[in-house]
Amino acid sequence: MTTQISIDPITRLEGHGKIDIYLDDDGAVEDTFFQIPELRGFERFVVGRPIEELPRIVTRICGVCPASHHMASAKAVDGCFGGEVAPLAHKLRDMYYQAHFIHSHIAHFYALAAPDFVLGPDADPATRNVLGVVHKVGLEIGGAVIGSRSKAQEIQRIIGGRNTQDIWCLPGGVAKGLKPEELEQIRPWVDELYDFTQFSLQLFRDVVLGNAGYVDIIVNGPYTLDVHNMGVVDDDNAPNFYDGTVRVVDFEGNEICRYKAEEYADFVAEHVESWTYLKFPYLKKRGWKGFVEGIDTSLYCATPLARLNVADRMATPKAQEAFEEMFTTLGGHPSRALLANHWARLVEMVQNAETLKRYCDDPEITGTEFRVIPQQITGEGFGIVEAMRGTLTHHYTCDERALCTSANLIVGTTNNNAPIQMVTKKVASSLIKPGKEPDQGILNMIEMAFRAFDPCYSCATHSLPGEMPLQVDVFKGGELYREFRRCC
Amino acid sequence: MSTQHSYQAARPRDCGAPARRRRPRRTLVLGMGNPILSDDAIGIRLASALKPRLEDIPGVDVVEECCVGGLNLLDVLEGYDRLIALDSIKTIGGVPGTWYAFDGTALRETMNLRNVHDANFATTLALGRHMGIHLPDDRRCHVVAVEIADNMTFSESLSPALEAALPRIVLDVKTHILMTLVT
Repeated sequence: MTTQISIDPITRLEGHGKIDIYLDDDGAVEDTFFQIPELRGFERFVVGRPIEELPRIVTRICGVCPASHHMASAKAVDGCFGGEVAPLAHKLRDMYYQAHFIHSHIAHFYALAAPDFVLGPDADPATRNVLGVVHKVGLEIGGAVIGSRSKAQEIQRIIGGRNTQDIWCLPGGVAKGLKPEELEQIRPWVDELYDFTQFSLQLFRDVVLGNAGYVDIIVNGPYTLDVHNMGVVDDDNAPNFYDGTVRVVDFEGNEICRYKAEEYADFVAEHVESWTYLKFPYLKKRGWKGFVEGIDTSLYCATPLARLNVADRMATPKAQEAFEEMFTTLGGHPSRALLANHWARLVEMVQNAETLKRYCDDPEITGTEFRVIPQQITGEGFGIVEAMRGTLTHHYTCDERALCTSANLIVGTTNNNAPIQMVTKKVASSLIKPGKEPDQGILNMIEMAFRAFDPCYSCATHSLPGEMPLQVDVFKGGELYREFRRCC
Repeated sequence: MSTQHSYQAARPRDCGAPARRRRPRRTLVLGMGNPILSDDAIGIRLASALKPRLEDIPGVDVVEECCVGGLNLLDVLEGYDRLIALDSIKTIGGVPGTWYAFDGTALRETMNLRNVHDANFATTLALGRHMGIHLPDDRRCHVVAVEIADNMTFSESLSPALEAALPRIVLDVKTHILMTLVT
């Protein structure tokens, strides 16, 4: 007889997911399924629309990473019009995108990762949130978190004209440039953001690395998978979030493949399972081999840690120092320690801030040649960027009138769908044992497994759920025999 | 575990946002949702329909479309004394077109970590107040939530049931908001 436990972290103002854990008669984990509601019909929705409108439409897909979709879409639309883009536009887009990364990573680290480590994974759920973190570490730091987020967002607004639901990128470039006085407004905030990245790293050292138990969980806990890594790199194999080639490296550090955006369909395919709408990407040339770990698996992660795993180095000096410190602590490069994704975000933020500083000192950045007017319609385009949550691919075709005829998207979190399933089961199996029913701490430690990926599923949905935020149902013989809810 | 960290960064009000955003205002009517995700747009549709009636009332600002959540809401709500959020809701067995009104105190139960990307609404408000940001208190955060049928399909149209009910909902919610504004 199978016992079913459901973890249903319904959220307000965001999407939600659900974990089902099936126990056997002895109370051991038999299987787990991470299920999410999948948005439908985007490809159909955009067919027939002017292709140049897509960068503005796709920002509605996701309320969390609209700029990532905007950038990938812009690059795909550039391709539909022949691919010529003003060099300055690439710089401005990249500059904008660095600020967006910082903005997102701050929110994730302090609102989601920090509660588990600053307060502890088994802390009272009522206090295990960013407010609890602020109570613990001090009001001053809370102000710095909010202030740094605001600065990163203001930088986006000044460069791109808006800080959300972007309308800035146009075929061949961008709609506005950066004026000298705007640059001078941004410059001191960039310095402060850099300081905040250094502060955040130090906080991580003190709070997480200073706790041997946490380090043990990160390095030796069940939060590891023998799957491969994907990320976009530049010509020197350093991470590049806006442009480059996609590199795939196995968990022993050997390069499996690398491809350009237009080659993605030769390297990535998607597997379908009957129990979920969401597909499972895998390395096409290896074929679908199931939810298996090992050197021959076709599964990969596309996460902040994966991006650093596929990189030989960072693109900036202080980020390089942080990169070396991280992998030394983790026992080598690459690393399979999925909870180190939180640390990897902080390392990435250093590169983001240093890159912003470079752009601030670039004499060309306030130029006026920020767009090339397209002269032709070539009908097909590909755009790949690193979204905060993984490699994001947009592929469009259009007809001779530049009306969209097809669109295909592989979003960041989708890449990680199979690894999320697998690590959830792995962690659940290690924590839930016969004779011991899961408590709140165990349930949270299972959630930590998928939270490391910062999964972004139905985040374009804003409806209030009208249900309790977390519900655990225990079934026996298909009937509910115990129900309890998590509330504060 | 150290709790002695110090950080001397500027407070949010020093980050250079335009001065007009810092001036205390009274009421923000906020249409929440995604305009291309079927019924998820109901809050936006309501705000658009009500804006002509509400925008001339002194001290009332109407933002027709807000699709951000989490900590980003602080930037939207800062400086207001009262919030009237128009949003969608899905309840078990709920009838599309039914609407509910409650205030921020009803959101307290979700202050724990349930948002997979960011802080949830109640936590965001509490954190902002803790940081000294001028925000409406919980009893002045009014939520009007309309029961919906479909928020998973990309479409610029509401579901037929909700579209049919929209004129009645607009009238009901307008009355509710006007009553709220005089309290």
